[in-house]
Amino acid sequence: MSFLGLGGGSGGQHGSSQINSQAIDVAVAELDMITDIFNRVVSSCHTKCINQRYMEGDLLKGESVCIDRCVSKFFEVNKKVGERMQQMGGASQAAGGAG
Amino acid sequence: MDMSNFNTAEQAHMQKVIETKQMQDFMKLYSGLVERCFTSCCNDFTSKSLSSKEDTCVMNCTDKFLKHSERVGTRFAEHNAEMMGAAQAKR
Repeated sequence: MSFLGLGGGSGGQHGSSQINSQAIDVAVAELDMITDIFNRVVSSCHTKCINQRYMEGDLLKGESVCIDRCVSKFFEVNKKVGERMQQMGGASQAAGGAG
Repeated sequence: MDMSNFNTAEQAHMQKVIETKQMQDFMKLYSGLVERCFTSCCNDFTSKSLSSKEDTCVMNCTDKFLKHSERVGTRFAEHNAEMMGAAQAKR
C-alpha cells in the first residue's frame, strides 16, 4: 500500500496576485533616483559641452567626445561622493558613540 | 533595478508606474526644451514673430538637444550597467 504524500507538497507557491508594497516602494524610489540622476547629467553636460549658438542641428565631433567624457566623469564623481559620504557617516557615528 | 523577483501582479503594477513616469518625464522634457531654446535663441524683441535666424536657431537647438539626450542615454546605460553590476557583486 502506498500513500501519496499528503501535505508539504509544492512548498509554498509565490502568491501571484499579492503585491509586496515595500518591495514596490524600494523599486519606485530607485527608479526615481536614476531618473533624477539622468536628468541632471543631461542638463549639466549640455551646459558644459554644447555650444549655445546652435549653428547646426547635428552634434559636432568635439561635442560628442565631450559628452562621452562628461558622463564618465559624472559617474566617477557620483561614486566618490557616495564613498566619502559613507566615510563621514561612519566617522560621525563612531564619534557619536564614543562621545 | 532588478524586477526578476517580482511576481506577475507586481510586475504589472511596476509597468503602470513606469508608463506614468515616462509620460510625466516627457512633458518635463518638452517644457524644459522650449524654455532652453527660447532663452538661447530669442533675444531680439523688435518684432512679434520669429525671425528666420531665430527660427533656424530654435530648430537646431531642438535637434541638437534631442541628439545630445540620446547620446547621454546610451553612455548612461553603459555606466549604469557597470554600477549596478558592482552593487550586485558586493552583495
